Amino acid sequence: MQLAVNIVVLSAIYALIACGYVLIYRVSRVLNLAHGELMMLGAYLLLATAASFAGNPVAAIAAAVVLSLAVGILVYVFLMRKMTGEMVLAAVLTTVALGTLLRGLMVLIWSAQQQYPGQALGFANPAIALPGGGRISTFAAILVVTTALVYGGLFVFLRFGRWGVRMRAAGQNPLLAAQRGINLHAVYALAWGLSTLTGSMAGMLIALDSGLTSSMTVIGLKAFPAALVGGLDSLVGALVGALIIGAAEVLSIQYIDPLLSDVVPFLVLIAMLIVRPWGLFGTREELDRV
Amino acid sequence: MSEPALLTVEKLEVVYHRAITAVQGISLSVRKGQIVAILGTNGAGKSTTLRAISGFLGIDDARVTDGSVTFNGKRIENRQPNEITRLGIALVPERDKVFPNLTVIENLTAPFAPAHYNRRDNEVLAYQFFPRLAELRSRTAGLLSGGERQMLALASALVCRPELLLVDELSLGLAPVVVQDLMARLVQIRHELGTTIVVVEQSAAAALNVADYGYVLENGRVVLDGEGARLRAHGDIQEFYLGQTSSSDRRSYRSVKQYRRSRRWYG
Repeated sequence: MQLAVNIVVLSAIYALIACGYVLIYRVSRVLNLAHGELMMLGAYLLLATAASFAGNPVAAIAAAVVLSLAVGILVYVFLMRKMTGEMVLAAVLTTVALGTLLRGLMVLIWSAQQQYPGQALGFANPAIALPGGGRISTFAAILVVTTALVYGGLFVFLRFGRWGVRMRAAGQNPLLAAQRGINLHAVYALAWGLSTLTGSMAGMLIALDSGLTSSMTVIGLKAFPAALVGGLDSLVGALVGALIIGAAEVLSIQYIDPLLSDVVPFLVLIAMLIVRPWGLFGTREELDRV
Repeated sequence: MSEPALLTVEKLEVVYHRAITAVQGISLSVRKGQIVAILGTNGAGKSTTLRAISGFLGIDDARVTDGSVTFNGKRIENRQPNEITRLGIALVPERDKVFPNLTVIENLTAPFAPAHYNRRDNEVLAYQFFPRLAELRSRTAGLLSGGERQMLALASALVCRPELLLVDELSLGLAPVVVQDLMARLVQIRHELGTTIVVVEQSAAAALNVADYGYVLENGRVVLDGEGARLRAHGDIQEFYLGQTSSSDRRSYRSVKQYRRSRRWYG
């Protein structure tokens, strides 16, 4: 039972991060390789707001969430907007540079030491006993519920929301979208905002559950195979991919060697790229061929 | 008194890749409520003119290097496409005219529409002119037939509530009976909504049947223009665009006539 709980929790973490990769790729065909750093920035923002709103954890969390959304939009407006119309490779390399810059800045500002935003906010993190003998920490449970809500919300937004449909339209044919009066910059900024928001939520919840260090970006990097295995332009794919990567990692830790935990997601990714490069639910035609 | 000009193109010059001049000083005028046809063969500059009006040149590394495009008294050349759509010009492109992975209803939801129109208003408008789309509302657009796609493309352009509708090669790949039906819908749209329409066509017969006025383009210049009826009756148009030749004309004689026509048109 505990094994299943661990798989669900780890998969939920990867899924919540992976949907950010998918949102940006689906709309603009850009792989955001700074997503792990943006996720970690969200966690550090919570640390900062926890200090600013001492004694008012709800306000601290709300401020961190709003700031995360704003960070995503600002990254697009001041950096990625310039990349519109340029080669996708240039945009991807820009995200690599952004990630490196953010990582350095965060260490400079908050140091590389382990920090605990949960303590700063005055939260305890008691374990909850589950039927069947499993246990789950409170913030891990909140993370699983949050992932479910985020995916449900994104599904409804993209399927029924006017701006959600516009995001899908812009991802399919940006020229026609512009011909139909859709402001592509607004759509891309929204995608960056939502992507950073969901990633930051994952970062905040991981930090509340188990603390925050500058090595958190590794988790963001390990969510990337989840998005690729599922198919980079599919949210359902990201969910399934996260489950596969999460299960493979937990099972390898349990039955083979805990040292494999950082390797297994990429082994699964390589296997998938060989067998089905467009992923389980991805669109085959969307791949640029070598 | 005649209606004022809604769209004025003056001495427009468009250059691709800073080297190839596709449009060489075209001037044309479209009055409110008119249906105007722009005719010409491949490479005549029809679609480039339409793209210059709708702001889509930048994508192909093309620019308006001279001249002006004025819509409702505002200069619009080299503006962003979505800005131009919001000013009241909607383009139905020649290809890739619908979002193939969205359903019909989603294709009608995505376009920008003035804030006071809700989704239901947009659907009512689309089905008013294309009732067939109501039966297909849940179908993915990529699975529609050519004619149905063209209907959806026109309907989604109408959702933007344009004052000026630009239609590029409506007849492309469609059976004559379908083209005739779609041209009749354009007339209905003009009649019921008062929308001004510019149709770019290689199929002169289809376009001149509905056009109030027409321009003939060759090699990036306007070589002939006039009222639709006058163009339909014009000998050169009848021979070279409508294919109405006398059976006694021999091919060599046609070549001579083509040479004479070129001399006349290009001066």
